[in-house]
Amino acid sequence: MTEPTVFDEIFSRLTPERVLHDPRSTGEGVAVAVIDSGVERAILEKRFADRGQPFQPIDGAVFRPNVPTPLPYDGHQSSPHGTTVADIILTVAPRVTLYSADVFGPQGTCEVETVVAAIRHAIDVWKVKVINLSLGVPEHKLQQAPRRLLLQRTIEEAYFRDVLIFAAAHNDHPTTRSYPAAFAPPLISVDKSLFDDPLRFAYVLREQIEFQAHSRGYLGPFSREPATSWATPHLAGIAARVLSLKPDLKPFEIKTILYWLFKAGAKSA
Amino acid sequence: MSETVLIVDDEDGVRRTFHDWLTGLPDVRVFAAGDAEAALLIANEQPIDLAVLDWNLGSGSDGLRLLEDLVDFQPDIVAILVTGFANQATPLDALRMGVRDYLDKNQDLNREAFLAAVRRQLDRIIPLKRQRELNRTLAEFRDAVEKILPLVRGSSALNEPVPLPAAVHSLFRFLLQSTGAADGALVVRHAPADGPEQMAAYGADGRRLDIGAAVFSRSLASCLVSLQEPSVMTDFSPDSLGGMELMPFEQNRSAILAAALPVGGSAQVVLELFDKPAFTDADKRLVSATSDIAAELLRQAMAERQTSRLLFDAVEAALRATDTVSETLNTSPPATPPAPDILAKLKRGLSADTNAVTDADTGLRLIEAVRELALRYGPPAVDHCVRVVENVKKLLDQIQG
Repeated sequence: MTEPTVFDEIFSRLTPERVLHDPRSTGEGVAVAVIDSGVERAILEKRFADRGQPFQPIDGAVFRPNVPTPLPYDGHQSSPHGTTVADIILTVAPRVTLYSADVFGPQGTCEVETVVAAIRHAIDVWKVKVINLSLGVPEHKLQQAPRRLLLQRTIEEAYFRDVLIFAAAHNDHPTTRSYPAAFAPPLISVDKSLFDDPLRFAYVLREQIEFQAHSRGYLGPFSREPATSWATPHLAGIAARVLSLKPDLKPFEIKTILYWLFKAGAKSA
Repeated sequence: MSETVLIVDDEDGVRRTFHDWLTGLPDVRVFAAGDAEAALLIANEQPIDLAVLDWNLGSGSDGLRLLEDLVDFQPDIVAILVTGFANQATPLDALRMGVRDYLDKNQDLNREAFLAAVRRQLDRIIPLKRQRELNRTLAEFRDAVEKILPLVRGSSALNEPVPLPAAVHSLFRFLLQSTGAADGALVVRHAPADGPEQMAAYGADGRRLDIGAAVFSRSLASCLVSLQEPSVMTDFSPDSLGGMELMPFEQNRSAILAAALPVGGSAQVVLELFDKPAFTDADKRLVSATSDIAAELLRQAMAERQTSRLLFDAVEAALRATDTVSETLNTSPPATPPAPDILAKLKRGLSADTNAVTDADTGLRLIEAVRELALRYGPPAVDHCVRVVENVKKLLDQIQG
């Protein structure tokens, strides 16, 4: 029997019970941006009120193609997707400071430049630590090299500024890849799976995908249907819980901790 | 565009002098004639804008009589009469015929006075001439567009390779067979940046479906646009719907498998399959794999429609533009009430109708009111008017049982 090393000692202490179930592990003090189709604030407020939980105010902005300055967020969604995503994050980490970046708008489409503007705004203005991207840009929209490079550089910039981006893998399509998930790493691309506990997740290394998270939502049409769009905010919420215990963690540290939390959880199971 | 001035004077010296004085004017073509016959020959060759006419042309002819003949060639012609007998002229008649100025040979008729008189008239003629020219080209353009319109419609009907209903029908025939779904629908939403949102739905047979008062942002389809992967819905409780509203064809379903089709542009298309006891992951993968081909098929069908619609829009916009320009130029015929004889005929026709249940005056009043409405506010106002009449009828039917 080999003597345990210092790493074994350190990692053996990193258990889901100690990290994710710590009473302080609520997302408190962690700013998270949901770059999506907007958030219907009143619906979430009501859900929190029904549960008797205090509700952290949600701020945000609306980003539109060819509009250089973000428009004010009026508390409404462009479509329900973003609200379902925000609800998952708030269910997992109810004390996070949530920002909604609506990049879809009435047109129902999101352009690469709009997503880039929202990411930059989330980093520069909102100073977030976590960005949730449950949206995908289809491969054909990134045929132009400058566009592709713009998105990739923005993702890298987030990493180098200690902001961790979680992106939905959208990996079901047989022929095309979904971006920005395909840029992983430096972001974390999240695949879908079903777990008995929404705080559980798995490390399953595949091409450009490392993590699987619980993929059922709790609010809105199609939310009960497993989707990478719902898996992503679960893992983003879990990261926010981790960060609320140590807010200065760097993206690679969070990833390592997530990895070891999974290992410990699997071992105990 | 240059203006044409014709000098008619039987005195060679005077004629040459006038000609020399005018030769220096920019954009003015000058013709000269010694008598009425030569003048009419020139007028027959090109339109004359301004005639400088000698009152007394010799041989019993005079400038005013010549002007009468010139008007036959060029109804808008304007004239300056040069006379030594201004007091003998009949100004009112002359004015009516197009004489706008007199120059008196017995006074000091020098170059400056002559050119000033000619310039004064040209300054009035030029804008009027431009307007006439614009009206003429506008009328030609309108004629051309009106001739093109049926051709555009005809050729688009012939060339449309994949009509949208046929494309939708083919798509669903394949998907219903492959998945075992009972029915399906396609929700199409077009949201141009500069126009109002338009939404339509098609059934599995390709026919248009009633969408009620659906708003895209509160529809199931809008959820799918951002979701980007095929998804199944089996729980239709209010909690699950989360404020979303089902369209009539989505109601009372046991399951909906839906997926967004990446058609691109400002259109969003969502495919919905209904009522298989349990949609499987294989169904979702099939829909996912089909989505690109389906999107391409629809893109072509919609692009074809779009092209035709754009052509129609362009042609109709062109026609509307001609109306607007004509109105701006104040040249379009004003919206006058129907001529009395037409009204009288209508009245006779109405009174002669044995089925008429109202008197002719009332009927005419209604027709005239609708006509005025159409003139002022266009066809939508008439549509509204018809709806109001229908509603009144319904109301009265209800009251009377």
